[in-house]
Amino acid sequence: MTTTDNSKKYLKTRIQRVETVAPGYSLLSFECTPPLTGIPGQFVMIRGAWGASPVLPRAFSIVQAGNIGQVLVRDVGPGTSLLCNMHSGDELAVLGPLGNGFVEPKSTKAVLVAGGVGVAPLVFLAEKLAERDVPVTFLYGARTENDLPLKERIENCANLIITTEDGSIGTKGRVTIPLKETLQDQNCVVYSCGPNLMLEAVGKICAAAGVECQVALESPMACGMGTCKGCAVVRPDGSFTYVCTDGPVFVAATIYGGEK
Amino acid sequence: MSDILKTTLGPLVLKNPVMVASGTFGYGLEYSDIMDISAIGGISVKGISLSPRPGNPPPRMCETPSGMLNSIGLANVGFDVFVTEMMPKLRAAGATVIANAYGTSASDFAELCRKFDDVEGIAAIEVNISCPNVKSGGIHFGVSGKPAAEVTAAVRQATRLPVMVKLSPEARDLKEVARAVEEAGADSVSLINTFRGMSIDVNTRRPRLGVGFGGLSGPAIRPLAVRMVYDVAQVVRIPIVGMGGITCLRDALEFFLAGASAVQVGTANFSNPTVAVEIINDLREYCTNRNIRPADLVGKVEMG
Repeated sequence: MTTTDNSKKYLKTRIQRVETVAPGYSLLSFECTPPLTGIPGQFVMIRGAWGASPVLPRAFSIVQAGNIGQVLVRDVGPGTSLLCNMHSGDELAVLGPLGNGFVEPKSTKAVLVAGGVGVAPLVFLAEKLAERDVPVTFLYGARTENDLPLKERIENCANLIITTEDGSIGTKGRVTIPLKETLQDQNCVVYSCGPNLMLEAVGKICAAAGVECQVALESPMACGMGTCKGCAVVRPDGSFTYVCTDGPVFVAATIYGGEK
Repeated sequence: MSDILKTTLGPLVLKNPVMVASGTFGYGLEYSDIMDISAIGGISVKGISLSPRPGNPPPRMCETPSGMLNSIGLANVGFDVFVTEMMPKLRAAGATVIANAYGTSASDFAELCRKFDDVEGIAAIEVNISCPNVKSGGIHFGVSGKPAAEVTAAVRQATRLPVMVKLSPEARDLKEVARAVEEAGADSVSLINTFRGMSIDVNTRRPRLGVGFGGLSGPAIRPLAVRMVYDVAQVVRIPIVGMGGITCLRDALEFFLAGASAVQVGTANFSNPTVAVEIINDLREYCTNRNIRPADLVGKVEMG
């Protein structure tokens, strides 16, 4: 995948703003001097100055780089809860950018498929592609209308198609339904991030349709930079690959099998 | 007095007594972007075996109260790649390299350490007889004195490099193991490796680690580690390298007072990748202000 010439940095910085963007989801903005580099799909490790526990920083996809960095946090446990409840001025340590980002499309169109908090790197990608006038179809799947953080930002830069499991907004059902229709036009690249089962389904649909698919994986990790070897994922041949340094963006077929 | 932190561990001389622990700092080079890795007293690199090892099935780690469990399983690039690809860069970076060696038998350890003997730029060998995450070798050598001594003696004969033996807190009698490796020719002992632990996801009713169990590290184990360092300090004459949940100068000082001549920082490197250098700077200030050396603190706990 793409490598940047921008080396990782360890920034001790402060929270600029914490914004609740959906129930249980917070968009954290933090000051970055020097500016946070990084491309869509790359990530940062983040930890607050909260003492000994939780011990580990948390990995987040970059939503925005530059002088103000942004990550999207879903409150799912002690660490993310602490992050969601931080305030402007609180100390924050940020390590990044880490990993390899999405490879931008050679074809004319991009189809982005997001599930839940997996929307984070795809918002960054959609905004970057829009700057280059690449047409973006953004398929966004969620449980309910309350689980669609950053929806407004996507509407500003892409053709947004929403699916919800309860049908409270958009098409009722899984995000894979509109994906199959969208892929009838094969002249596109698919970028996806979300729950593993969704990514596997997306990868297989793309393989069957003969469309290139890049997925951004999530894994527990301690270091984010290849030293702890904690984020191993099993490839179809039984060998291990590491989310932090080999990914987090992978060609879907290298993880889920299939042709493309 | 710029070398106020200079530390001697038998034949091993370090620029300061704060090292980073094996498995928590990769091969060191990963950190070159964000710090000067030559400032660290010693980098105990990820455990190295004669052949590469893929490691255990995932998930390999999970967080626990004030700590973490890991079941990595000594995934490593193997001796040849380490020596040809990592060592030239580590030498160029001026890093003090402690080669952490893992073998499945005493002769396997000896062969590996004989090979390390010919590698330029290795300051010492840390003999890993305490990994809880491998099926053969590892902790099995470290739970009692006899196998621990056999491995130590084999390594001692195989290398001229300083030999540091890393002990397991799961030894049936840690003092006995420490004495046995001292008698077998170890130049120092490092302790403690992780405790075997388990964490269960109550929703899925499955262990949170792929192989069921893993090694517990982090501040959660610090009081156990300090006590074990104190215990071992009562029975050996060789220097002790203390570790277990060190996150700051204050934690490191506890280990010096308990009897450690040097320390290793482990899990805290994940919390803050520059923590070892911060502890070194804080220790320099602490010692300078008091006009003492770290050695003046070793074993000076007052038991009343």
